[in-house]
Amino acid sequence: MKDYKKITYAKAINQAMHQAMELSEDVMTMGQLIDYKPGIFGTTVGLIEKFGKNRVRDFPVAESLMTSVGIGAAIAGKRVVLVHIRIDFMMYAMDAIVNWLSLWRFKSNNESNAPLVIRVIVGKGWGQGPQHSKSFHAWFAHLPGIRVAMPATAFDAKGLLLESIFGEDPSIIIEHRSLFNLEDQVPTKPYRVKYGKAVVRRKGADVTLVAIGCLVIDCLKVAKNLSSKGIDIEVIDPRTLTPLDRDTIIKSVLKTKRLVVADPGWHSFGAASEIISSVSENNLIKMKSNPTRITLPDSHTPMSDPLEKKYYINQNQITLAIENSLK
Amino acid sequence: MNKINHKEIIKIGKYKKINLQSVNKKLAVSLYNFMQRLRLCEESIEKEYHPADQMRCPVHFCTGEEAVPAALNSILESTDFLFSHHRSHGYYLAKNAPMKKLFAELYGKVTGANSGIAGSQDISFPKNNFFSGAILSGATAIALGVAMSLEMKNKNKQVVVAGFGDAATDEGIFWETLNYASLKNLPIIFVCENNNYSTFSPQAKRQSGKSIAERALGFGVRSKSVFGNDVCLVYNELKKAVSNARNGKGPFLLETFTYRYSGHVGPISDEFVGYRSKKEISFWKKNCPIALLEEALIKKKLIKNSEIKNIKENINKEIKASFDYAMKSDFPNFDSLENLNLTKSTPLADKLLEEAEELNFNEDQKIIQTKGY
Repeated sequence: MKDYKKITYAKAINQAMHQAMELSEDVMTMGQLIDYKPGIFGTTVGLIEKFGKNRVRDFPVAESLMTSVGIGAAIAGKRVVLVHIRIDFMMYAMDAIVNWLSLWRFKSNNESNAPLVIRVIVGKGWGQGPQHSKSFHAWFAHLPGIRVAMPATAFDAKGLLLESIFGEDPSIIIEHRSLFNLEDQVPTKPYRVKYGKAVVRRKGADVTLVAIGCLVIDCLKVAKNLSSKGIDIEVIDPRTLTPLDRDTIIKSVLKTKRLVVADPGWHSFGAASEIISSVSENNLIKMKSNPTRITLPDSHTPMSDPLEKKYYINQNQITLAIENSLK
Repeated sequence: MNKINHKEIIKIGKYKKINLQSVNKKLAVSLYNFMQRLRLCEESIEKEYHPADQMRCPVHFCTGEEAVPAALNSILESTDFLFSHHRSHGYYLAKNAPMKKLFAELYGKVTGANSGIAGSQDISFPKNNFFSGAILSGATAIALGVAMSLEMKNKNKQVVVAGFGDAATDEGIFWETLNYASLKNLPIIFVCENNNYSTFSPQAKRQSGKSIAERALGFGVRSKSVFGNDVCLVYNELKKAVSNARNGKGPFLLETFTYRYSGHVGPISDEFVGYRSKKEISFWKKNCPIALLEEALIKKKLIKNSEIKNIKENINKEIKASFDYAMKSDFPNFDSLENLNLTKSTPLADKLLEEAEELNFNEDQKIIQTKGY
């Protein structure tokens, strides 16, 4: 593939949707307000005009039903992309996701599958508060039978969305609002990014820094800053939590023997804990320092600006954790 | 519309309105045969369940609720979809899924409908478009998605039937489902087997307002309530509803008043709980759907006692063969349970997409957090 163009994360998602719907008539999308001008932060723009109201459906505020309808349509052969403008509203769909979607393949012993794609957006900043800002990636990654992606770049956002749509398992793609304006070089044609393949975004020898989702760019910035102080950080972006590419992470820690995980989720029982456990279970690694996780506190998101700033992970925290791991 | 409820229904004493003129002889006998087959199948499982304890999964028996599955068996095409609740055996057989694979599933054997992974309350037979599940209303909502897909693809040649009990309508998603079915005029038939109980709890204790069928009208879904143990009546209503849905006339809800003779789950009676009156039980036993049809068939001389005997013998042979098949089959032995949850095979993605090289991401750009919403 030779043709690349610099586009935003939102535009990359939009391009993936247009191309998927052109590639197969079975592809359709549903979500609240997806057929209005703003097009879910630009991600669904132009779809209704091109593909019509049967394939691009503004859905009632009934997230549970929308998910169930998506499951049913997927069982019957459709390739459905659901869009939740806020992940918090998606919680109405937990029965559909947990009790039906995740185990559909399993309980039919591989004779029926529901390759439903759920795009969910995590809000941040401007006082979104506790009902507009949660990220539930660890919950969904805990659940068997569902693939969970957290694309951090426009390239991954497009490739993982196309992979999800034309794959055979259900997928939840967690997109963070702070990523939508980030630019990246993206192939103009459709392509795939496979699940379960982490990417080493920066090579280094001193510390392995695993960065999840929206923290990838922060971690890369920190790594670049610290390189001027002679600290050589390897930044790994797992890209998908289920399946998780433990091999790439372990291979890196075997080299650096230091691990810091930056996870935009709550502290306890999270993705960071899982990654640290997976590394700790490996007998071959003799760590030079204790692994650390940088996470949100075990608290809901406050609205007030200074509290909100304190709540979210900043680059200083990441820097400090790296420096501590080197002590 | 008939205004029926469980309190009023038992006042009729003995149901005498069964109308054989609405079905031909062949159909009537076929309905009878199906109901007998289902009843004997359930009774044989009930008998074998304890103390053998080799069927180690919860089973919700549907004795007494044979009419709806029998009617659906005669109405639905193989390409139609049927979604069931946890009391699933009747619906499973209605879609012509094999009895022996039902038995093997209950025994947890590899030859079961789902290789012993699902059991009674989650059983499916995807080849015949039959699915079920134990969490109330979930399957009904999923059925609607199938209906949406069929409407887009086939212009209503195929239909979907969602069977559920009165307790499923306690759930909010049930009414969301009716709303969207009506809004989009989808080819789906909702069949409520109203047996009055959510486990032990009667409908009147859980639901206010009008009957389920009347409330459906409020969502724009045409509906009707009927005495559910009159299989001819149930057949005719469902036949009409299916034919209408095939012709683009949209959804329909049939509320059939019926009763389960067995306890909520398992073969052991739960009458010690004291949730059902003797009067009520005796009314429903007197109005057994199979007995009502049998009496009418004999009265009209459409069936002989010898034919009935013959029907039962054939069914018992099938039941015996099904037990043998299940007992003789092996237990499943999967190397990795994980592989049953996700697949590594992606044929469509392989065909349509190729991998691309990821160029270096530029971390020097500013993170712009959009203001406002």
